[in-house]
Amino acid sequence: MSARDKILGKLRAAQTPFTDVPPIETRLRVTPDIDPSPVALKARFLKQTALVAVKPWEVADDDAAVVKVMELLAEDDTVMAWDFDQIGLPTLEAALSARKIRVTHPDDGEVRVGITGVDAALAATGSVVLTSGAGRSRGASLLPTVHIAVVRAAQILPDLEAYFERVRAHGSDHFRQSSNIVVITGSSRTADIGQELILGAHGPVEVHVIMVG
Amino acid sequence: MQNQSNNFIALSEVAVQDKTMRSAVVFGTGNASTRRLASMYAAGEAHGEGLRQQGAEAKRRALRKLPELLELAESNLTANGVTVLWASDAAEANAHVRDIAKKHGLKKAIKVKSMLSEEIGLNGALESAGIEVVETDLGEWIVQLSGDHPSHVIAPIIHKTKASIRDLFVERFGMTPTDDAAEMVAFAREKLRAEFLSADMGISGGNFIIAESGTLCLVTNEGNGRLCTSLPDVHVAVVGIEKIVETFEDYATLTQTLTRSGTGQLLTVYTQMINGPRRPNEMDGPRQVYVILVDNGRSDIYATEYAAVLACVRCGACQNVCPVYRSTGGHAYGWVYGGPIGAVLTPLLTGIENASPLPYASSLCGACKAACPVDIDLPKMLLDLRRDVVEHGKNGRIWDVGIKVWALGNRSQTLFKLGGIAARLGQKVIGQRLPEPLAGWTKYRDFPEFAPKSFHQRWAERKKGTS
Repeated sequence: MSARDKILGKLRAAQTPFTDVPPIETRLRVTPDIDPSPVALKARFLKQTALVAVKPWEVADDDAAVVKVMELLAEDDTVMAWDFDQIGLPTLEAALSARKIRVTHPDDGEVRVGITGVDAALAATGSVVLTSGAGRSRGASLLPTVHIAVVRAAQILPDLEAYFERVRAHGSDHFRQSSNIVVITGSSRTADIGQELILGAHGPVEVHVIMVG
Repeated sequence: MQNQSNNFIALSEVAVQDKTMRSAVVFGTGNASTRRLASMYAAGEAHGEGLRQQGAEAKRRALRKLPELLELAESNLTANGVTVLWASDAAEANAHVRDIAKKHGLKKAIKVKSMLSEEIGLNGALESAGIEVVETDLGEWIVQLSGDHPSHVIAPIIHKTKASIRDLFVERFGMTPTDDAAEMVAFAREKLRAEFLSADMGISGGNFIIAESGTLCLVTNEGNGRLCTSLPDVHVAVVGIEKIVETFEDYATLTQTLTRSGTGQLLTVYTQMINGPRRPNEMDGPRQVYVILVDNGRSDIYATEYAAVLACVRCGACQNVCPVYRSTGGHAYGWVYGGPIGAVLTPLLTGIENASPLPYASSLCGACKAACPVDIDLPKMLLDLRRDVVEHGKNGRIWDVGIKVWALGNRSQTLFKLGGIAARLGQKVIGQRLPEPLAGWTKYRDFPEFAPKSFHQRWAERKKGTS
């Protein structure tokens, strides 16, 4: 008998546990106090990002966003980046090439800065949600020391529950439209050595959010 | 790993005398508990309690439908391009991983922290097949370098001091000595970055599998979890069959209460949902993803009154609040899981005859149940396991004889009175230390002094005096 049949057979032979669990009527949201108005969402998101050591930069429009990104690139001659239409800053490409900054392959383990857009941002936790796909590498938000995420105010949702509600509204198959969904909350960290919180373990040491609009 | 749980008493006697270890454990667990309370109950006591019940119900609903949900998860994982394998026990699970390595010609594995991989002894099994394995969670890497074992489910080196880690890095790699933890972390980042870039296999566990979509979920903070599941061409996840949840809504509750209960974070830095290998239009990500669904005793537990323990999300909150764990640390429990969850899981997974002292390693204070994000009734399970220990005749002869004598004495007034007289006289002779074979009972405490007169005597005197 295969392991599969053996395991499923044993589970089916057992008396079904927890037959008394009630059906779901309402669900509590894990963070219940999120004001969904756009102004409040943005304020809450910015406040929460600061609590998880993300550096938020508020800019008025796309041009200001490009200026801010270029400021954060110090002496860099190479960056890792999503495709520019995926970042949502089409003019960034010209700004980079004007400074002769090259975009490298997403498995470059040496490059200092990675630039991405986001699929959504979460106010309750100060998180950004990134999905993998064409022109959206995993590497850009993972391998470099510095991750710059470009977020638009309209992308901010109240919480993780709201993100899943949005996906489900498009149909349950949308949950697997990307091979990889990552919710990033802060910069990489560890507290393994002497219980001291140290920012910058294996992922980005610094995470910057460019908040457009 | 070799199960030493029957040596709990000897191991804990050594452990409680290690002041350095104890202060590290008390400090770390205390911090984690404070942060758990602040985040779980941020919106009030009733809301936090409601979240625990919501989590418990989500897991119990999934366990109720476990065989169906496993089949659903399998078909959805397969549709996502994942190869699903099943393993009844540790040997089968390890053989699957070795076979995958052989099939793809893989030589070097980088690993995300996984308690299940500890349970099945995966590292040893791979190394004996000539495959290099590098743990990449900082704590697990230090455990591996020092030939140690993790002592806490989420803080594997909670028992180690900063100085001992510095010494390890200096001795092993010639690191410039430093007392700055940030410098040690930077040193480890550089060392491990080279390992990440040169490995061809990534191994992880899994915190959840969402059945409705075949999504494998991982929570990590350091970034090593993403690196291990993104860089190598092959990703293998070993996941216990109890990790299935039904929907994204259930997962939303559980992943957020898991992190709040474990570290007090609202979410871990990286909350990853994996839907199979990279798609044809992607530039990075693994080309092959395997999920190995591991039983290793879980289906046996499923058929018992202890099925609710399968709801455990391995957050470590019960360890952080347990007065026994906080005194002994995790190693005294003798196997993979320490603390209240270990005292329940170890006898259930390895046989009660191999872990008979563990159900007694509890004051039954109830702190573990109150801290548990899925409200597992660990104190009741520990009591029930004590009953099982007795039924298996693992109590020890002295205890059995003692209880019989006690029962006999309590059934007869004459014997009860005689026993009282004998005890008061006996104590005058032997003092506050009992002789063998009862000496263990008074090794670390005084035998309480008997009152000079028994209740019966005083009752009789009082009646005489007042009438």
